[in-house]
Amino acid sequence: MIRSDARLKARGALEFGVDLDAPGALHGVLIRSPVAHGRLRRVDLDRVRSAPGVVCAIGHAELAELLPSGRGATAHPAFPAAELRYRGEPIAAVAARSLAEARWAAARAHLEIEPLPIFAQIEDVFPDWPGAGEGESEHVNAHVLARQGDVEGAFARADRVVRGKYRTAGIVQMPLEPHACLARVDGETWHVQSSTQSPFGAREDTSAILGIPEEQVVVEASWVGGGFGGKGAGLLEPYALLLAAAARRPVKLQLSYAEEFELSRSTLPSIIWVESALAGDRILGRRVRLLLDTGASLPGRDFATGYAIGFIAGPYRIGAVELEGYAVKTNKPPFGPHRAPFAPQCVFAGESHTDEIARAAGWDPLEFRERTGWREGDETPLGQKVGPFGLQEALERARAIRERWKKELPAGTGLGLAVGFWSTGTSAGGEVLLRLTPSELVVETVEAEIGSGSVIRGLVAVAEEVTGLPREAIRIGRTDTARGPYDAGVYGSRTLGALGNAVGDAGTKLLQELARRIPGRGELRLEVIGGSCVAVRNGSRVTVASLLTDSERATGGVLARGRHYGRGGEILAERVLTGGFYAYTDFTAAVHLAAVSVDRETGQVRVLRYAAIADAGRVVDPPTYRAQVEGGVAMGLGEALTEETLWNASAELQNPGLLDYRVPTILEVPPIEVEVVEGFLGAGPGGAKGGGEPPVIPVPGAVANAVADATGARVRELPLTPERVARALKLL
Amino acid sequence: MQLLAPTRAEEAIAALLDGPEGRVAVLAGGTDLLLDLDEGKSSPEVLLSLHRLPWRELTWEAERLEIGATLPLAQLEQDPELARRIPGLHEAVGAIGGVALRHQATLGGNLVRASPVSDLIPILLALECEVGLLGSGGERSLPLEQFLLGPRRTALQRGELVRRVWVPALPSAFRWQRVRPANDVSQISVAVAFAPKEERWRIATAGVAPLARRAKAAEAILRGPSPGEEAIAAAGASAAEEAEVRQDRRATDAYRRHLLRTLVLRAIRAVATGVGGQPA
Repeated sequence: MIRSDARLKARGALEFGVDLDAPGALHGVLIRSPVAHGRLRRVDLDRVRSAPGVVCAIGHAELAELLPSGRGATAHPAFPAAELRYRGEPIAAVAARSLAEARWAAARAHLEIEPLPIFAQIEDVFPDWPGAGEGESEHVNAHVLARQGDVEGAFARADRVVRGKYRTAGIVQMPLEPHACLARVDGETWHVQSSTQSPFGAREDTSAILGIPEEQVVVEASWVGGGFGGKGAGLLEPYALLLAAAARRPVKLQLSYAEEFELSRSTLPSIIWVESALAGDRILGRRVRLLLDTGASLPGRDFATGYAIGFIAGPYRIGAVELEGYAVKTNKPPFGPHRAPFAPQCVFAGESHTDEIARAAGWDPLEFRERTGWREGDETPLGQKVGPFGLQEALERARAIRERWKKELPAGTGLGLAVGFWSTGTSAGGEVLLRLTPSELVVETVEAEIGSGSVIRGLVAVAEEVTGLPREAIRIGRTDTARGPYDAGVYGSRTLGALGNAVGDAGTKLLQELARRIPGRGELRLEVIGGSCVAVRNGSRVTVASLLTDSERATGGVLARGRHYGRGGEILAERVLTGGFYAYTDFTAAVHLAAVSVDRETGQVRVLRYAAIADAGRVVDPPTYRAQVEGGVAMGLGEALTEETLWNASAELQNPGLLDYRVPTILEVPPIEVEVVEGFLGAGPGGAKGGGEPPVIPVPGAVANAVADATGARVRELPLTPERVARALKLL
Repeated sequence: MQLLAPTRAEEAIAALLDGPEGRVAVLAGGTDLLLDLDEGKSSPEVLLSLHRLPWRELTWEAERLEIGATLPLAQLEQDPELARRIPGLHEAVGAIGGVALRHQATLGGNLVRASPVSDLIPILLALECEVGLLGSGGERSLPLEQFLLGPRRTALQRGELVRRVWVPALPSAFRWQRVRPANDVSQISVAVAFAPKEERWRIATAGVAPLARRAKAAEAILRGPSPGEEAIAAAGASAAEEAEVRQDRRATDAYRRHLLRTLVLRAIRAVATGVGGQPA
């Protein structure tokens, strides 16, 4: 079965953000800060404006006249008034007839900047873990601390204590398509088409930055050439709209790949300490400490520290737990979400540590996880009850795979196991509109397909299940934020769950409405006969065309609106001592096995085989689900082995390009065995759990554990480049 | 920018001589040059493309291979004789970039660009290739070592083009190390060849400053077709010692030196035992 967008994509027939164009559209370019920290003394755009082809150039000074009176003074305007917080921060923008002219003009801006001290790395702020009271700093965006049980007592009673310090690298989402949008201003309406994972999110952010009411901002998604979390917030839309307002013409704005590296908010480095107090094979206590580089993020925008830190404690029964973390403010670009934000890094630390505990004691790492791993009803450190959770069954499957591999793979092969968990519920809600016409069912949503298949395949599969129509008769009808129903966005592994439930709700209502029009009692289903939609009830068939009212005939069909706003989880407030922690919703396990060979003279790691066991709840569409798991593993292998942003002491990115930022090629991706555990149900359609993020989470941990198994050497820093492995092997 | 694509060699040479001095860029596969153009590092007035010239020969002679300057590397790689007769060149060509790039890149372009990270230059140095240079006065030939003057610098004179390369068919091997095995720039690459008639070993390394070069002190340690392990180890140590190793974002100098020693050993052993191919 071929996905409905496959042929179109292969032919280049779909319009992605980068393909957007309009008659007379200008090309915009951002004028960006050459320093990571400074005070802007003067912005002179005269030489930009006089350059050939330029229609307009705007900076902070122009905001007041471009925006409706009194609207421009927002808390965080599009262009900074004085302080520059990171290299590449947009200071001004120019629109010209051609991209080349706009680029040439942008380089002519005259900027006077007073340099300020640069905090490039976490260590520039905290050379080591801050002691009590030392964490008070203007360079802290957030401080979180939570405790469960008597942690000090646990360490006092322990037979053994195992400690580890881990470092993780910055990574970027690197979608094939960079951010791109096309903006125009029609009277009071600020309209933007954008390659976005969240039209309503982009609308909210644009409204906040520009100070324009949300209703006056209209966002329409294009096809999205990959998002991976990087296209979930407004980024280019405000600049493009400002340029369009100044030029009184449509403006196209698109990032170059190098700009994509610097401006797309992504994961930054971290330092993680984990220590566990052990008595026999019980974990009496665990302390987790996290210094997370959040770059030039604004206070209140930190979502990661209090969320991710729980993943370091792991899905394990632990007597007493203390979690403490700082969101460290540096002069790198702001931190942002990246497929399972910061979880692969946390789980790398946590699962390396888990293996270190087991290996030091001579236990089988898999059995140790079976003994200590959560089961439904266990309690998290923050006091949540664990819901249906497929961890134990997934570990059983992993054991079988491991035994088979041991027979099949040569001696010296390293086998590594890692367990990830994730929260994939439906608490971020949404709505859809179903439109049944005489010949098709249209799922109207603001959401674009971003490549995962969650929209074009997932939502259609749910509509198939609920109505009985074949997929060929169901179509996604994309609409904009002015006309379409609200939805939170295609992110957080929530699309199939939340929006799928909304489709289910709408489909049920649609069938109920049709049932009112066809006398009888039995179940009503839809089918297609000779290209026409037909309602079937008690063996009798009635065409949808004949069921339409006059007004429905005029407006295009029977409408049904569906909605789903799922429940969130709850944590025990008394466990939180400082800062914001978040509850999990659907507990979703991912158990991975990696088989590697390590060149003991060079440190080169090759992944020979990989197995991913997914806790799916229920699989709605097997090929799409499988593809998500395979893609997650491939992405995780990059995070494990090669991907790393390199920053110098001036907080300047050293490798903003695909030559030295190394994503895996097909030659680095081994055969992947995908197994699915079903039955531990989540909140999605028929019990489905989200599938997009979990498969990336355990990969760096599984690879690191496999390298340790092969060589006895433990690499505690991501990624596991040949040189890092060589150092762990003491070759240098 | 003007694009010229002559079909005859004389036209190409004339275009070089007639064009504004220093403002004519010669385009072969373009895999390196186009990056410079895109990044604004180079802004020639004339782009002289060689793609319509009939310079794609691949001719086996008794003891050597003649390769036309614009033959795509993929065609060289696919030659059925290459792996057997010049195994080191086969290994090196197969290691360059990705498949798509190899269909575009050329041997001539690789030499003229004289990139410090070229994976082809070390094997061609170890094999002691000759380069044929075509100018208005005819063709002259130069040993590769004299052709390469430094990074991005060659002995090409105004009005000259690389026409062909003659590669001696010798037992040889090529070894490399990269952060990502496929389609990455090598941290270190090493080529070794053995010339049976002279009983001479030749070792060349890349990833060291400033351009790929021979490791002649190491070569001198090796004697005969089957040097012992002790001599091989000494040659590896010598190569690591005599190299000017650099430190950059791809590797530290300590790791490069370690790799150099390791890969020199591996390449010598491969030639001495007649076992080709970098293990996967």
